[in-house]
Amino acid sequence: MQEYSVIGKPIPRVDAVEKVLGDAKFAADFSFPGMLWCKILRSPYAHARILNIDTSKAESLPGVKAVCTGKDFNGWTWGFMPQTRDEPPLAVGKVRYFAEAVAAVAAVDEETAEMATELIKVDYEELPGVFDPEEAMKPGAPAIHDYVENNQSWEFHMDYGDVEKAFAESDIVREDRFQTGKVITGYLEPPAAIAMYDANGITLWGAKQSPYFVYRHLAACFNLPLNKIRIIQPFVGAGFGGTKNDSVAGDFCSVLFSKWTGRPVKFVYSMEEVLTTARRRHNMIIHSKMGMKKDGTILALQQKIIAEGGAYTAIGPLTMYLTGAMTTLPYKLPNFRHDAYRIFTNNPVSAAMRGHGVTHTRFAAEVQMDMMAEELGIDAMDIRFKNAVKAPHETINRVTVKSCGLTEGLETLKNTDTWKRRGKASASGRGVGLAAASYLGGARQLGHQSCAALLRLCEDGTVNYLTGATDCGQGSDTVLVQMVAEELGLRMEDVNIKRVDTAVTPCDPGSYGSRVTILAGAAAVKAAQDIKGQLAEFAAREWKVQPEEIMFRDRKAFIKSRPDQSMPFGKLAKIACYSGSGAVIMGRGYSRYGLERYDWDKGLGNPGTSYSFTAQLAEVQVDLETGVSRCEETILAHDCGRPLNPINVHSQNHGGTIQGLGQTLYEEFLMDEGKTRNPTLTHYKMPLSTDVPRVEVIDILTDDPDGPFGAKEASEGCIVSTPPAVVSALKDATGIWFKTLPVTPEKIYWALQEKKKQTKDK
Amino acid sequence: MKQIEVTVNGKLEKIEVRPSETLLEVIRERLHLTGAKEGCGVGECGACTVIMDGLTVNSCLILAVEADGKSVVTVEGVGSREKLNPVQEAFVEHGGMQCGFCTPGMIVSGTYLLEKNPRPTEDQIREGIAGNFCRCTGYTNIIESIEAAAGKMSEGGES
Amino acid sequence: MTTFYRRLSEFEYLSPAGLSELWEMMRGTNGTGYRVFAGGTDVIPNMKRRKGEVPKTLIDLKKIQELDYIRYDSGVGLAIGALASVHSVARSCLIWEHYPALATAAGKIGALQIQHRATVAGNICNAAPSADTAPALLALDASVRCASEAGERTIPLKDFFTGPLQNTLARGEIVTAILVPESTAGPGSCYIKLSPRQSLDLAVVGVAASLAALDGRCEEVRIGLGAVAPTPMRALTAEATLRGAQLSQENIERAARAAAEECSPRDSIRGSAAYRRAMVGVLTARAIRQAQTALTSGETSQTSGDCR
Repeated sequence: MQEYSVIGKPIPRVDAVEKVLGDAKFAADFSFPGMLWCKILRSPYAHARILNIDTSKAESLPGVKAVCTGKDFNGWTWGFMPQTRDEPPLAVGKVRYFAEAVAAVAAVDEETAEMATELIKVDYEELPGVFDPEEAMKPGAPAIHDYVENNQSWEFHMDYGDVEKAFAESDIVREDRFQTGKVITGYLEPPAAIAMYDANGITLWGAKQSPYFVYRHLAACFNLPLNKIRIIQPFVGAGFGGTKNDSVAGDFCSVLFSKWTGRPVKFVYSMEEVLTTARRRHNMIIHSKMGMKKDGTILALQQKIIAEGGAYTAIGPLTMYLTGAMTTLPYKLPNFRHDAYRIFTNNPVSAAMRGHGVTHTRFAAEVQMDMMAEELGIDAMDIRFKNAVKAPHETINRVTVKSCGLTEGLETLKNTDTWKRRGKASASGRGVGLAAASYLGGARQLGHQSCAALLRLCEDGTVNYLTGATDCGQGSDTVLVQMVAEELGLRMEDVNIKRVDTAVTPCDPGSYGSRVTILAGAAAVKAAQDIKGQLAEFAAREWKVQPEEIMFRDRKAFIKSRPDQSMPFGKLAKIACYSGSGAVIMGRGYSRYGLERYDWDKGLGNPGTSYSFTAQLAEVQVDLETGVSRCEETILAHDCGRPLNPINVHSQNHGGTIQGLGQTLYEEFLMDEGKTRNPTLTHYKMPLSTDVPRVEVIDILTDDPDGPFGAKEASEGCIVSTPPAVVSALKDATGIWFKTLPVTPEKIYWALQEKKKQTKDK
Repeated sequence: MKQIEVTVNGKLEKIEVRPSETLLEVIRERLHLTGAKEGCGVGECGACTVIMDGLTVNSCLILAVEADGKSVVTVEGVGSREKLNPVQEAFVEHGGMQCGFCTPGMIVSGTYLLEKNPRPTEDQIREGIAGNFCRCTGYTNIIESIEAAAGKMSEGGES
Repeated sequence: MTTFYRRLSEFEYLSPAGLSELWEMMRGTNGTGYRVFAGGTDVIPNMKRRKGEVPKTLIDLKKIQELDYIRYDSGVGLAIGALASVHSVARSCLIWEHYPALATAAGKIGALQIQHRATVAGNICNAAPSADTAPALLALDASVRCASEAGERTIPLKDFFTGPLQNTLARGEIVTAILVPESTAGPGSCYIKLSPRQSLDLAVVGVAASLAALDGRCEEVRIGLGAVAPTPMRALTAEATLRGAQLSQENIERAARAAAEECSPRDSIRGSAAYRRAMVGVLTARAIRQAQTALTSGETSQTSGDCR
């Protein structure tokens, strides 16, 4: 193994000091002279026709500078694909979910803007709503959009091998209905931005996880070329997919107000606004049918998904794709059929969230596999050894795995004391569970998918690093700087990474699908190599050797064959920049992959560049009298190829695991006719420090050939493996399989009562 | 409008405030100390935590007029770039943060905890930061950071 | 709600330095549109959310120094002034020693930042059915001292609550203190809170018990229940079942069943009525046993950091 100087080291985050000092500026921390405040007025109905909007009273309130409504956007709508652009900045004609944005006010201060929204008079005609996807699919259900039938937002199908034949050949076949809950990303920083529209076009300082989405949205909405759209990225208070990967009403309205008034316009959402209106994870019903041989070999899986899409399409088609295309990992699966239906309802919009798409179907398949293993008398560990894929592997839908540490991970867990406690203590409500998962990293889809890096060598040998990739908390800035520093033989402090400014940084798809480390990383390495190539020319001239002879290490340039012959990196930079009329050294690189076969309609081909594998143990303690349960311990054996920064990778996995624990035991939106009944952090129960175990992470090193320095993704795999691991532990503790998430104390209590009754009846 | 006198990070500030302004708004918008964050605005998330007269409080729940005559310490006042406090230093070294939005509140809660209890148990650390949500880290590295800070402080005390 | 407010609307702020000034100020508002507050941890969020009527005037009690005390007189009992914070109660060694149920309950409210600010009197005045200190104070037979310009009166706590978020305070009247009589239970009181999270959560069910026993026989018992009726309540039937009886497993369970029967929970986002009722049974039995154990050992099962 090659010895690295900064790669693989537990180096502090490049932004750590700013953050602990409170100096890191987030979108809401900025203010500009003459700035106006934008406030959104929202619908009191989940489904209603807008008959009339009278803004005159609001407009005449002193301090109010402008009021806008849906019609001011001239019919423009946005969406994930051309045929699904169904979402307007502000509702036009009708509202489709409770608290959808209807109008907005710009005023000299936020108090006035808030007051003015009360003065906007909107006449509604309430329409019957539909809030359950199975109800919404029925003929005659209220139609939410005119452009689809039966409220079917999207469908996606995969059919590989011959599932019917395989079921016939199976020794046992099982069918179950699973359900996942309505949960949210839970970032603590509500969406916020300041917009400025002037002769240069649009500038937006916004809390965006994928700023180049917003850049395209604003260009299209305001009919401007892309070079007139400048998104400047402050620090971002986390994303996890969904809302911060998209635009929000406040973005469009603030820009419009700035265009009208010539003044900067700021908006900040409230947490209750986020928890009522923001994008959520799709809740799904999964009908799962699995066929297995007596020895535990999985022969076939067929899943039918009904996903609640809420009121608009958003990124839903991709969700449907991922629920299927990734189900063929992490176990060998020769026959697979998948039918997914995304259904519109009058609930808030469903979209991406960490573990996108995969968390639902993997939960179902994982639990079902365990149920069947139990029927066959096969140990949960053994059934995984039996079916786990090993590299190299190609799934039936041509997903190619080049590195896989799953079996090694399982072996590692098998030897823990935790696993040895499995099945030993159910009388006291203690239980240990196991699960595994795979997740794609370096998402590759259709459309623009390349990441780029631009390195500017300063004359003193330091480097300015421009990337379009966003660090929204995951630590990518640190890892990217490590890669550049490693490649150039520099120290961390020699490389200065700039936050995204779409006028300056190279275009980037965004921070989703665990793509930054892998693809922006690949670009960074290439850009650094470009710099080295240019500098080597100058060094070679100095030393009269071939450029190929030059190496870079320890802030120095060397001659490979004569390591004593060296010169400080800074000196070489100076020579390069000042010799003759002076060179300007810029390194550039972008990530690319070949045009391999990829069929979006059939779920065929690689959705990622590489695939992480997670094996996870969870131990729970259930209070058998009250149903209150607690995860006391969890261990991940995690194959991320190679952790480039162990602190970051582990922290990502800790966070993904606890978020997964939230959706397993604690979190769920409680709805009433489209209205969220628990839109506060008191009632929407994200776990706190007193509710969670320390997460232990064991790295399984596999050095993926496609990763920069062997790296693959981290944290999306463990949010997928956590729910089935915890559910398996609950089974060990209570003897009951829970098929509906979240498994709340009350659910556990009633299930225990039911079990008691059944035991008595027997 | 009412004139208040409040000592913020050791500096006496005389400010005219409206009764409806919260301490958090005044700190952020008048004094331009934007370290304390508004996550929820209703005393749940802990991102706006400051120390007022020796006790941690949610500054979003306190009217600025209530802070008249009080002493307030924000994240900007617990350490400096030249000299991070032990909790800040440990957060840097042990990765006690990711996005950084909860971090100012966490640092203030962690600092307060170690002032009151220099050698907390793990459970006491958990209780000490139970008023501060973090969605990124799963708390593991935050707890380890505070443990490390406590360790370092007691070492320092003994030497 | 169609606007999600981040700012408070305008109001007038008054902070009297003493009770007489308070009465004067109350009179000045002509009895309308004012709200009295201490910690503000309930009042401010409600005002931000425009929940209920937005008061024109806020009257802050915090400058009335005479209300800021915790006093314990042996043979008389405990008096908690209206300004005593939840935190000071949760950390009081005296309260841990004599009224562990109350100290425990105080320590379960919200989180530290809230406890530093909130007051026990405020927790009671807010009259939430799930208020943590209410079942504990009911089990400790507390009463509420109220004052107005016309004079003082003392109301048993069980008569103070009149409905969800409603109390019996008359216009112009405030709570000046919570009074807890000398406890015959000593260490034999406890509070158990059932909630999915350990912090920053509201009780799905809260049960407090206070027990005095001699030779395994129940001399006196009081049981307070939270979040299972329109107001915090005493489980009087359960108490009667146990009073004078041996503290046997069977009798404890009978009392627990009685408590489950006499409460009147409803379905809410935090739990169904049926679950809550069942939990009253489970937690009542646990609380009695825990109190019994504490009595026997003379130690409370939980102690605060400052009192260890």
